[in-house]
Formats: sequence, structure tokens, C-alpha cells
Amino acid sequence: MSGAARSEADAAFARLASFTAEIPRLRWFAAVGTTLTPPMVAAAETYVAALGLVPCPVATVGSWHEAAAAAQRPDWSRDWWQAESVCEQALQRQAGARFGLEPLLAALTDVTDAAAGIRDQAAAALACAGLDDEALAKVAAGAAAQACHQQGLALLAGDSAGRAFAAKFTLFAAGRWPLGIVGGTCFVF
Amino acid sequence: MSATAAAPIKSVDALKAAPDDYQLAVRKIVRSHAVNELYGARVYDEPAIALAPTPYLKWLTCRIAMEEYGHHVRFRQLGEQMGIPESEMTPEGRKPLSIFEFPLKTWEEFCVVKLLADLAEIIQVEDLMKCSFLPLRNLAKVTMPEEIFHSQFGKDTCTELVRTEDGRKQVQAAINHYFPMMPAFFGKKDSANNALYRKYGIKQRTNEDMRADFLKRVRDLVEGHLKLKLPEVAEAA
Repeated sequence: MSGAARSEADAAFARLASFTAEIPRLRWFAAVGTTLTPPMVAAAETYVAALGLVPCPVATVGSWHEAAAAAQRPDWSRDWWQAESVCEQALQRQAGARFGLEPLLAALTDVTDAAAGIRDQAAAALACAGLDDEALAKVAAGAAAQACHQQGLALLAGDSAGRAFAAKFTLFAAGRWPLGIVGGTCFVF
Repeated sequence: MSATAAAPIKSVDALKAAPDDYQLAVRKIVRSHAVNELYGARVYDEPAIALAPTPYLKWLTCRIAMEEYGHHVRFRQLGEQMGIPESEMTPEGRKPLSIFEFPLKTWEEFCVVKLLADLAEIIQVEDLMKCSFLPLRNLAKVTMPEEIFHSQFGKDTCTELVRTEDGRKQVQAAINHYFPMMPAFFGKKDSANNALYRKYGIKQRTNEDMRADFLKRVRDLVEGHLKLKLPEVAEAA
């Protein structure tokens, strides 16, 4: 690896390490169910557009029960999930080509480890709403951990292809839970 | 120094003073759990995310995959403290249990794997919760709530699936496929390894006891609860 490439790799992994350190400090799910602010709506719109999907309305759901129900509706968008998968695979190829698969996977493992504690924050947020639902806490934590993984990939791939995941992560970092596209609407809890 | 259930070994440092065969026995168990937890996460949990039918179940499966991987990490960390080479605690180059040789094809299969294999895992971990090597006992205690959740997930999802005729057929087909591999999970009858584990209080029960317990509990689940058929299998491995 050349000196320039080494320095580029160091900078990218430093960015990722800083992101990883931030994960346990975020107030996960702290703003769920509240009114969506214009910046949150804009982030959701950016997320949808950056995935290359047709623009759609953005709406919120008001409770954990409604969030769980939305995530189980049969009319969820397969195109949305597929677009995320395609984007994720492209970022993994790019990041792997830049830095090698092994260092990439090691760094992403650190991200996943950092995200393991989000389940406790999800359970705490549920408890604030008077709910004790271990499965739903794990569903929310799984969604958040996936977003951490995707944002980690985006940071390492280092180009605009990761814009969708950056926008999605902005929503999580603001204490929301983007539920994806269901019935033609992008729902954010 | 003699290691018995009455004289537990409290730390990895104290393990160094234990008899060689005690150390070897503990190493085998830690290595086996580290390898199999990682195999399970790679072969079943990660591929199941794509097969899950809703975002809710996809995210829940993401979390389960993380937890299974986390179990591997915990066993591997204990193994590293004990001086087990990292290469011996990953599936590469190790012959897998037969169940890991069959790639997952459907969501129903995944639900059945959680129903059957995680119950088998619970029975193994229950035994380790009385282990004379306390770091392993503590690890079993930490792991157990997640194992119980995974097994319950298998029960809940299978219960939901069997409400339809097609779901019943698919769950039954998956049980027919995976269940015959399960008794071998518990090791051979009259196993010399198991005798050593029991001599030192590392494990409490014979392989046959654990297998019989599994068969009883799984029969209650499959025939009693799901109202499906459990295929006949040879009970001894």
C-alpha cells in the first residue's frame, strides 16, 4: 500500500472508529411517536430518493403497537428492501476493494458489537411507554443495528453511494425509527 | 489438586493448576460451543434474514443472528483466556455437525431449526449452569436468557405457521428433514468424554439423559403443542 493509500485508509478507519464510539452515546428511540419535524421529513425523503425509489409520502405512527403493526403489514415494499440490499452490496464491494475484505469485516464487527447494547435502550423506551415486550425491543434493536452496519459501510466506501444510509441513520440518531415503505408510504416512528 | 463438583474452579488462572484431563475437558467444551455458535449464525441466522416474510421478522432475525454471534464471541474470549488458539474456535477446517451441512432454503426451515436446535442448546446450557468450572458456569447463565428467547421464537413462529394448511405441510416437512439429525447433538452413548466431564462435575448428566430429556420436551412441543408428527429416529447416536 502506498503512503497516500495508507493515509486514506487511516482516515477512513478513524472516521469509522469515531462513529462506532458514538453508537452507545446516542439516545436511541427517544423521540419515537412525536411529531415529525421538517428536517426529519426531509431526511426521510432523501433516504427514499437516494435509494432510487419513486418519491412517496412520509408519515409517522403514534405508538409502539402501531410501529409493530406497520412492520408486519403484508403490503411492505419489496423494492425498498431490495434497493437497500443492492446499495449495501455495492458499498461492501467498494469498501472491500479500497481496504481489503478482512480489515473491513473486522471494523464492521466492532460496529455490531457497539450496537449490541441498543436492545437495552429499546427496552427502556418501551418501558417509558408502559410496555414490556422483549420481542419488539429486539425488533427495534435489530433495525437499529442494521442501520449502524449500513452507515459503517457507507463511511468506509466513502462516496455518495452511501447517501441513503446516511439519511436513514440521521433519523435513528434523532431518536426515531424509520420503518421503511409500507403501502406506498415511508413510515417513521 | 482435585477438581470435583464440590471444589469448583473459580478462574482461568486456577484452571492451570487443575489436572491435565480436567483442563482438556473444559477446552473441548469451550471450543465446541465457540465453533457451533458461529456455524449456526452463519448457516442459519444470517441467511434467514433474507427469507423472513416481513420487516418485523427480518429485524428480529437480525437481532437473533447478532445474539448467536455474540455467544460465539463470549465462548471464544473465554477460550482465548484459556490459551486455545483462535483457529480452533472457528468453523474453518473443522468438520461440522451434520445439521450444518444442509443450507437453509425456506423461512419455515429456519423456524423449525430454532424450535429444535435451540431447545437442544438450552438442554446443553442448562447442564453447564452447574459446571464446576465457574467461568463456564457464569457464561452459561449469561447466555441462557437469549437461548430461551430463540427457542420461544421457534415455538411462536411455528405456532403461527401451522395455522394454515400449507404452513402445516412446510413445518412438518422441515421437522421430517431436521429432527433425525438432532439426537446426535448429544454425543455418543457411554461416551468416554462425557464420563470424564461428569467425573469432574463439568457436566452433570449423561448424553443419554440429555437426549431423552430433549426427546420428551420436543415431543411435547411438536405433537402436544403443534399437533404435528415427530418422525421415528434411532435414539442412540
